[in-house]
Amino acid sequence: MPNIREIRERIDSIQQILKITNAMYLISSSKLKKARKNLDATTPYFDRLQETLSDILVHTPETRQKYFDKRSDIPEDKRKKGYVIITADKGLCGSYNHNVLKHSEAELSKAFVNNCYLFVLGQVGRMYFQRRNNAADHSSIDGEFLYTTQNPTLYRARDIAELILEKFVSRELDEVYLIYTDMDSSGDFVPKTVQLLPFRRIHFGLDKDGQMKKLPKAEFVPSSKEVMDYLIPNYVKGVIYGAMVEAFCCEQQARMTAMDAATTSARKMIKELSLLYNRARQAAITQEITEVVSGAKSIEE
Amino acid sequence: MAKTFHLDIIATDRVFFQGECEHLVVTAIDGKLGILPGHQALVTSLPTGELKYLVDGKWYYAAISEGFMEVMPDFAVILADTCELPGEIDIKRAEEAKRRAEEKLRQKQSIMEYYHTEAALNRAINRLKISQKKFN
Repeated sequence: MPNIREIRERIDSIQQILKITNAMYLISSSKLKKARKNLDATTPYFDRLQETLSDILVHTPETRQKYFDKRSDIPEDKRKKGYVIITADKGLCGSYNHNVLKHSEAELSKAFVNNCYLFVLGQVGRMYFQRRNNAADHSSIDGEFLYTTQNPTLYRARDIAELILEKFVSRELDEVYLIYTDMDSSGDFVPKTVQLLPFRRIHFGLDKDGQMKKLPKAEFVPSSKEVMDYLIPNYVKGVIYGAMVEAFCCEQQARMTAMDAATTSARKMIKELSLLYNRARQAAITQEITEVVSGAKSIEE
Repeated sequence: MAKTFHLDIIATDRVFFQGECEHLVVTAIDGKLGILPGHQALVTSLPTGELKYLVDGKWYYAAISEGFMEVMPDFAVILADTCELPGEIDIKRAEEAKRRAEEKLRQKQSIMEYYHTEAALNRAINRLKISQKKFN
């Protein structure tokens, strides 16, 4: 027979936790509302950016522009690959962080690990990779790269984009990828990898039915090189910003779901425990009555 | 009714303008550029600057910060970081930003920081300039 007091204590502690998870649920749902508004406001820009760029690239003649430089002279095992990984600042958001990290691990294992350079946004991912780096094979992680994922701003995206582009141009990195969580149309979260640099035109220029678009040749003012010098950084910044907004929205959504589930299961546990508690209490009372009755009976006899 | 073309101005935080437009004047990297319907296909980048467009015989001004533009004979798309009408500009905030940037420029900084501050100063000055534009 479980101790009555023990059950009481257990119920109390669950109630405490229930309060916390419930509060977190409320907070993340209000944050989600904001994040979603932000996402909805950015989506037209993000979509249009890709559309327009693919348009532009279709009528761009082959350029020897610095951001298009594939550096195919460098062998595969010598290529320095940079990964920008967007994780959350905090845990307690279900499998959100786990999924991104697992996906990143898979990406990294495809590459030669010692040539990977990680730029991790968010405390959780940073801690994870720093801990992992103590192991034998490791990829370098940029310790100076400290950005939060809370409330993404254009300013932060600009900083990140500048850093990445500078490293690419100075040949500290040969390829740059962006890993973030994307929300697909059914509302599921899917970790996604996007290649940022070098700029590949294969990603673009194809219509939805796989045909090359036919558009009139456009003129670049003042010159295609100069325009691209402005355009690519702008594009990279836009993509990073879009990814940050999307990831933040996913994070809040994941946390909300996780906390909702936690609250529900806490309620269920309390219900079960109070049943157990009542049963134990009833048993104690019955026992007491039996004792009294049998005591009285023995006196009678 | 004058001949028009479709103009989309999209900023990172909202769709700024979508509709028919008769005449568009932007500041491109190498100077001012006027776009009329049937313009030759063209792509250019836009630095921080001003923008005006004519709709139904009325000029609208806007402050724009960094973006690019694609022009086709029957439509034009402008994608920019931010885009604001003069009435939407927070003058106090822009003044504060300008003051802060000027303060920073007086100190020794790395080249990177210098560019950042300069860009911030440009944005602030541009906003202030446009917010003071008179309307007809």
